[in-house]
Amino acid sequence: MIDFVQNTVDGIMFGSSYALLAVGFTIIFGVMRRLNLAYGATIMLGAYAGTWLHVHYQVHVLIVALVILASTVLTGIYVERLCFRAIRRDAALASMVSSFVIWMQLEEVAIHILPERTYSFPSLFAAEPIELGAFLIRPEHVTMLVLAVVMMGALHLFVHHTRHGLALRAMSENPRAASYMGVNTGWIMLLSFALVSLVGGVAGCAILATNEQITPYFGLWATFKGLIAMMLGGMGSLPGAILGGLLLGVAEAHSQWYLGNAYKDLSAYILLFAILVLRPGGLMGRRILSREEFASRRV
Amino acid sequence: MAYYLGLVQLIGIHTLLGLSAYILMLTGQLSLGQAGFFAIGAYSAGILTVIFQLPILPALFVGALIAAFFAFLVGFPALRVKGLMLVVATIAFSEFVRLFFFNLSWRVPRGDISVGPDSTNGFREIRYFVANGWSAWEITAFVWVFVILVMALLWWADRSRTGAVLRAVGEDELAAQSVGINLTAVKVAAMTAGGFIAGIGGGLYAHTATYVDHLTFTVLLATFAIAYPILGGLSSVFGTLLAVIFIQGVLVEGLRFLGDWRNIVFGLMIIAAMNLKPSGLFDAPTARILKRAIGLDGRGQNGA
Repeated sequence: MIDFVQNTVDGIMFGSSYALLAVGFTIIFGVMRRLNLAYGATIMLGAYAGTWLHVHYQVHVLIVALVILASTVLTGIYVERLCFRAIRRDAALASMVSSFVIWMQLEEVAIHILPERTYSFPSLFAAEPIELGAFLIRPEHVTMLVLAVVMMGALHLFVHHTRHGLALRAMSENPRAASYMGVNTGWIMLLSFALVSLVGGVAGCAILATNEQITPYFGLWATFKGLIAMMLGGMGSLPGAILGGLLLGVAEAHSQWYLGNAYKDLSAYILLFAILVLRPGGLMGRRILSREEFASRRV
Repeated sequence: MAYYLGLVQLIGIHTLLGLSAYILMLTGQLSLGQAGFFAIGAYSAGILTVIFQLPILPALFVGALIAAFFAFLVGFPALRVKGLMLVVATIAFSEFVRLFFFNLSWRVPRGDISVGPDSTNGFREIRYFVANGWSAWEITAFVWVFVILVMALLWWADRSRTGAVLRAVGEDELAAQSVGINLTAVKVAAMTAGGFIAGIGGGLYAHTATYVDHLTFTVLLATFAIAYPILGGLSSVFGTLLAVIFIQGVLVEGLRFLGDWRNIVFGLMIIAAMNLKPSGLFDAPTARILKRAIGLDGRGQNGA
């Protein structure tokens, strides 16, 4: 029983970072109806820039985090200009393939910056694990959860209580109607890319500080975790992304504990496939499915 | 010379991979699971020639059948999801297959060594061509026999009622259904056929490379599979072949002199191609111009 609760708690805490990654995918999908495969690589390049500074100049970890956020946002804007802005609206597939080749490109640049396989990443602060009765809680996990909650709160405020958030929601409801109502769609697309890159940068910092290392596989890993968490919750839905991220975290924690490390990723894919078959729209409702219908007509 | 023959073999194998995605895309389905079927074909055919010591032809055939069977199984649940959801569902499938082979260890003793898939170390002993003394020319011809067969079959199917049915489903499902086309049957059939073609490609790949491991079958390969038909256009099977030659022959090999910077230029060139011709390099207008140029299509006729 203690194991079960401990795993669930660990899963929820790590899952909160999956939720942040999923939010990044879901916002882009909501606003553009396109899949940005380069999202993980964007975060990775940002993280590599920060790590480069850490490796060569041993700067303070907060500066590393700031550099990561800034370079992730810049990379995100680069991806948006090249793969989404430049390509015609009706060619969603061309965008997806382009975002994939951009992924390769970003990875190549990252490997040029830091050619070794593994680099250590500074942990945010040194702290002992917290003991709560029979349970053990890692402070990194708590930081991750707090960061995720803060980011989610800020996103909620932004999306539901600002003019730009309103424009963003209008665009994800119906882009053409939004542009007739005077929404500057190009600007909103750029803004949403900058926003999700910022969220991704925060998630990247939290994850890497917990793992204490960075490898060239990070881009692939982040893309897959974010995609799976988004699909579990339902594409284009913010609460769905949070739910999907937490569910993925908990499922992975349990399968790692009860079945072994080899089954951790396998179980995630089985879970995804099962949910897609049973509830094709993801967990968060049918409304998304009708939007999906609309989106698939464009594909 | 061996280098160029290797390239020609690779182009042939990747054409099969691209065609397996092409037939699915005709029905409007976009699958990133082709790498999974390719992997199943490669490992199955390899296991059959190495562990069961079958000749190459039955091994390829059975490997392709196994891949087609899994494609059939994936086809049914995947029918419930569409568009980008299908893309992610099939990514999940092909990663699942990759992780399965990552964990698969099946060693059998042969003489004083043991052979077979060895989980993380890959599957190293697929030496059928070497053991039977095939020359590089013979291997290349063998690969291209399959490529030409599949291309001819698809080209013919495209011009028959089959092609019209597939394209009708891809164009507008509701309209296709209302003229009496069974959507489920057509989509699952396309998925199965795609799995079979990818399975043949995988089997050929395993034997020409003599070595496969799970890293061969990542999402990179799956994206290449759909990039070929997207870049080549869906108007004809030749578009896919052209795109494979463009990507593998010109971009990947031709840019080798750039060394480490190759991927960066490679990415920019693909994006340029996508921007200039979003519906493919070999789309209907280009095809018409080409046909006119070689005199297949008279000026008075209304081409396609």
